[in-house]
Amino acid sequence: MLMIRQAWRNIFRNIRRSVLTCTLIASSLVVIILVDSIINSMTGLMVKGITETIEGEAQIYHSGFRDQYDPELYISDPKSIISNLDSDNEIKSYASRVIVPSMIGSSYNSDGVVLYGVDAEKESNTSRLQSAVIEGDYLSGSDKELILGRLIAEKLEVGIGDRIVITSSEINTNQMIQELFRVSGIVQFGPKELDEGFAFINLSTAQRMFNIGEGVHQIAIRFTNPELANSPDLDIYKTLPSDTLEAKGWLALQPGLGAMLEMTGLSTLIMGAILFILASLGVVNSIFMSIYERTYELAVSKAIGTRPSGIASLVLLEGLFLALISCFFGIIITVILGIFLKENGLSLGVMEFSGVAFPDNIPVILTLDQFVNFPFYVVLLTLVAAIYPAIFAARIVPAQAVQKAL
Amino acid sequence: MPNVIEINNLTRKYGKGVAEVIAVNQLSLNIEYGEFTAIIGPSGSGKSTLLNLIGGLDNSDEGQIMLAGNNLASMSGRKMSDFRRDHIGFIFQAYNLIPVLSAAENIEYIMLLQGISNAERNKRVEEMLQLVGLEGLGNRRPSELSGGQQQRVAVARAMASEPEIILADEPTANLDSKTGASLLDMMKGLNEEKGVTFVFSTHDEMIMKRAKRLIHLRDGSIERDESNNNA
Repeated sequence: MLMIRQAWRNIFRNIRRSVLTCTLIASSLVVIILVDSIINSMTGLMVKGITETIEGEAQIYHSGFRDQYDPELYISDPKSIISNLDSDNEIKSYASRVIVPSMIGSSYNSDGVVLYGVDAEKESNTSRLQSAVIEGDYLSGSDKELILGRLIAEKLEVGIGDRIVITSSEINTNQMIQELFRVSGIVQFGPKELDEGFAFINLSTAQRMFNIGEGVHQIAIRFTNPELANSPDLDIYKTLPSDTLEAKGWLALQPGLGAMLEMTGLSTLIMGAILFILASLGVVNSIFMSIYERTYELAVSKAIGTRPSGIASLVLLEGLFLALISCFFGIIITVILGIFLKENGLSLGVMEFSGVAFPDNIPVILTLDQFVNFPFYVVLLTLVAAIYPAIFAARIVPAQAVQKAL
Repeated sequence: MPNVIEINNLTRKYGKGVAEVIAVNQLSLNIEYGEFTAIIGPSGSGKSTLLNLIGGLDNSDEGQIMLAGNNLASMSGRKMSDFRRDHIGFIFQAYNLIPVLSAAENIEYIMLLQGISNAERNKRVEEMLQLVGLEGLGNRRPSELSGGQQQRVAVARAMASEPEIILADEPTANLDSKTGASLLDMMKGLNEEKGVTFVFSTHDEMIMKRAKRLIHLRDGSIERDESNNNA
């Protein structure tokens, strides 16, 4: 207890130096927690942006379909899969889709799009299609209605009610087909590639147009717990015939996103390491200053019988107290900033990254594990930083130091 | 009385070649239990070096020191620390109390190192404070005590571990003559009452007057070793 008291009081012998050291450590803690939160928020938004916009958290499709989006690779009889999806409690929603690259033309212009045939009701629970409608109406089930992305609508110079001709080929026979639609709604997702390259019609219309009966190209799924999507052991995945059908979570569907998330984690780790190394150097410097000031005192302690390990323990305890004080104030500051950022968000301006549009204000959410893990690392690294000065102090030769006072 | 300190042919050199200085030169000396001895001599005569060697704070180049029957040369590191803790008390010129600990805690410190129980420590701290005339001042930090009071705490700290030997290096150098005399009378009393061996390194006439034995050093060797019958 006496050593603990001694170490605690030693912290306050040079208050200015201790305050500066604690400020350095606490600042590092605040920065790393906030940066981690911001990155988590951004990656969260990115994942949500991709999974909630159109892709879903997982997809079931005919083997090879996603390689080239070959319309001939469709699930001809999805009934059993849909039945399984309906009975699976882990599935929050799903949406069957027909997906065929097509030509779209108006009186003024034409372009290529990916035509989606969607089940209006199920799609509204699975993707943002309904909420992305900025003009006109969402699909109602009518045979001739069509929804266009804002940018393609501008390119075709069409508005609500205007006529649109879809040109494509029947899937099984490759016969050319043309069908007239009227623009019933215009959607804006945000990412340019979605707003200028997608058109949506009703699923039944698409199935009839392309003559595939009840066939679908893709079933997009959302889970009650999104974390499940990337688990390969789900029952719903296991029941699929592996030779004709594939099921993948968003991480496998978007390997680029997975790599980016990994890189984001790595960059946080590198930044954290740099910050903590800098802070550690500050700790080493501060403790060394303190030891140099007390060389004689430590030498006398050794002379009267304190073991070298006792001297080292004292220095390590001082490092521990510095770390704990820093964490205490660092956590308080982070909580205050966290409350502010949670309420007000972090304004980085509207931006689009990797096909995901970020809102103007990014909500910064702090989690409990950040207040446990990062302070733990701070304490651990501060202690590691204090080892070298502690060894130095333990090796002080009493005779040399004591002679100074003679 | 048996010898508490036995020194045979002790030599300590500093530097090398032309810069070599022989601080202690082939010195042999015995000090009995309970002696009140002063090592005196001019600056550079080797007093402090000898005291450091006796206290195990420095290593000799040649010769042997036996302290309370233990050969210091055979001890190192942790064993030496433990030996100093249990057998030797140190009093320094600059008091050298731990500034962040109170007077009582400074006295308690060494007993804590010895693993003495809490109750025993508290009892002994009170006894020591009483012994050095600092009752009621135990909670004061060193900065709140006068030089004389601080040196009394240092004496109490040195006594707290109940050592066989107390090595005092110029203990009165920073004190005025009245305070110094009072402190020396107190140490003399402890020597007579408790039988603790005191070895001083000093220039101070007051210590020389009170020491029963005066060892004169010159150039690292004993020039004269005399009893002080007036002490």
